[in-house]
Amino acid sequence: MYKLIPPLILLNALIFILCLSLGPSSVGFYDVIEVINGKADTNTESIILAYRMPRIIISMLVGSALATAGCAMQALFRNPLADPYVLGVSSGASVGAAIVILIGIATTLNTMLAAFVFSLLTAFIVYKLGETKIGLPVYTLLLAGVAMASFLSGVTSLLIYLAGKEMHQIVFWIMGGFWTAQWEKVWFVFVPIVGSIVYVLLNSWNLNAILMGEEHALSVGIDVESFKKKIIAASSLLTSSSVAVSGIIGFVGIVIPHAMRLIVGENHRTLIPTTILFGAAFMPLVDLIARTATESEIPVGIITALLGAPFFIYLLRRAKV
Amino acid sequence: MILEVKNVKVRLGSSEILKDVTFKIDKHEMVALLGPNGSGKSTILKTIFGVLKPVGGIVYLDGENIEEFSFKQIARKIGYLPQENPETNLKVIDVVLLGRTPYLGEFKHPTKDDLEIALNALKSVGMEGFEDRKFSELSGGEKQKVMIARIFAQQSEVLLLDEPTAHLDISSQIEVMELVNKKVSDEVAAIVTMHDINLATSFCNRILMVKDGRIVYAGEPNDIITQSTIKEVFDADVDVKRFGSKIYVVPKAKVQNNKNKRIHIICGGGSGAELIYKLKEIGYQVSAGVLNVLDSDWHAMMETGGITIDEAPFSPISKESFEKNLELIEKSDLVILANLSVGVGNILNLKAALKAEGGKLLVVDKTPFDERNFAGIEAEKLYKSIIAKARVFKNEGEVLNAVEVLLKG
Repeated sequence: MYKLIPPLILLNALIFILCLSLGPSSVGFYDVIEVINGKADTNTESIILAYRMPRIIISMLVGSALATAGCAMQALFRNPLADPYVLGVSSGASVGAAIVILIGIATTLNTMLAAFVFSLLTAFIVYKLGETKIGLPVYTLLLAGVAMASFLSGVTSLLIYLAGKEMHQIVFWIMGGFWTAQWEKVWFVFVPIVGSIVYVLLNSWNLNAILMGEEHALSVGIDVESFKKKIIAASSLLTSSSVAVSGIIGFVGIVIPHAMRLIVGENHRTLIPTTILFGAAFMPLVDLIARTATESEIPVGIITALLGAPFFIYLLRRAKV
Repeated sequence: MILEVKNVKVRLGSSEILKDVTFKIDKHEMVALLGPNGSGKSTILKTIFGVLKPVGGIVYLDGENIEEFSFKQIARKIGYLPQENPETNLKVIDVVLLGRTPYLGEFKHPTKDDLEIALNALKSVGMEGFEDRKFSELSGGEKQKVMIARIFAQQSEVLLLDEPTAHLDISSQIEVMELVNKKVSDEVAAIVTMHDINLATSFCNRILMVKDGRIVYAGEPNDIITQSTIKEVFDADVDVKRFGSKIYVVPKAKVQNNKNKRIHIICGGGSGAELIYKLKEIGYQVSAGVLNVLDSDWHAMMETGGITIDEAPFSPISKESFEKNLELIEKSDLVILANLSVGVGNILNLKAALKAEGGKLLVVDKTPFDERNFAGIEAEKLYKSIIAKARVFKNEGEVLNAVEVLLKG
């Protein structure tokens, strides 16, 4: 099944060039070549290098981060419905973004920082709530995550209600999208996302073991409690980084790991790399639809939900037979 | 001594699960832990593996305190199979390869050797050719054999198996026990928890009986599996039987309090044996007559020990026996006339039946009477009068039901 990896890398390269060549402005593939040759005018160059390029890179990072976090969570909770947001991270990020917008200091970078800090904080609180004397039972953690998420959704709704004029800004942020992409954002999330993805990738063997049940993982010599903590930390970092730069993009974290599971099977040693690559290929493509389908831009979270939910139902129906 | 558990105490929350557990096990030994649910069997295994830390006492592995080892080191020495059955869509070979985890490097990349060890382990449990099948699609017995292959691939010196035969059919149970038994013969020690005492006595050379967090009996199966130890440990009433060099345990038949009721059976030639055994089993007193000595119904009566009126072999019923029979009929709570054949020798049995009170006379009329009448018209007349006054049933089963109803109500 490793055979799938080179074609997926190629697919990523093709999508990268495709997305670089398409957009609402008339700048196309020929201009990309011109930019590479250094012959393009400054306007074309800035559309490609300062606007489209960081946007594509961020969407690739976010796509692979959400897919990887979703896959890790599904293995950890041994539950196909787990996604990157089970620990309440996304609701925490919304609260952070809403607060910054409400108090009127909402620059792109400030919103990103607030969302990042609040989501990590939420993950930490959920983790502490889920911790017991005998370790970290995943069900307690799951329930703590659900409780925290609904509490913070309430807080977000309250903030939206109080926001008045700024209401649209908050709602638009929550819907998720890449229109605020810039190189600063790329530099901010590059290390946490790539670092966490590499960590999960290197631990795919242990994810196989934990899939068998925690006692079975322990019985082959894995220090399960410590491993769970590290995987939760990596997933939280992936999710918080993604949410901070792009708002809440749903279904990617659930659908991509499942689709890959159907194709390559359950073994995480192939599942994780293909999920990473497929997530990276999928997200810029959906974002391309978001920025070119209509005159103005559609939030990408809407498109992933519109595409993702029916696909997910299809997977569920298929799994039943 | 490869493994020594010394004065181990384990506490979970406020309750003391293990109170004082001490035992040793050496290579080539297969030890069964027997005990009721909640007695601490699984806890003993978890403590040996280091999952639970004892509040007192020490577990020695190869002479060293187990707490000195990392999980990875323990997993190289001990193959532990938890009770919980995994559910996964992983391929069989991936499951077995997980047994190599403690030997893999930082990047967890299995080598050719690891793959070969895993394949050999699969082969040793007779699951060759299953490596690419999904684990979740196997039968219960096949899954358990794959799990056994997983711990074999771990190449450890001690096996801890927590109820490896639970939920398996009898052939898989035997297969699993044989696999472990075979492994024990090559330089390995095994501790197996189980509920099936017979399986334990057949395969294990030592048994530890656990009750309330203590080992209450330890020794060879034949020495410690007795009616009284099982009563004490499990609070169960059993009979312990010997069969060749083995022993096995069967439940003692629950005897209801029917002892004050007696049923008299008029039978012969095997027509009453089934009724005799079954009524006795339910707990009634049974009497029978008149039977010839050595008749199969007579044998049944001798075996179950009821009052029997008998005649010498092949002799007709004497006047004296007939009178005795009437007396028994008179004093019994119910009388059953079995599906017997009638000849000149035993026609008096029909006469006796006719003397019984109509209300307590039950007749098994299975074979048409003319097919079992060898005493002519007289017997036929008698039988007709009997049928006229008695309750008639088609077979023994119906009669037994009627007995229950009549005597309970």
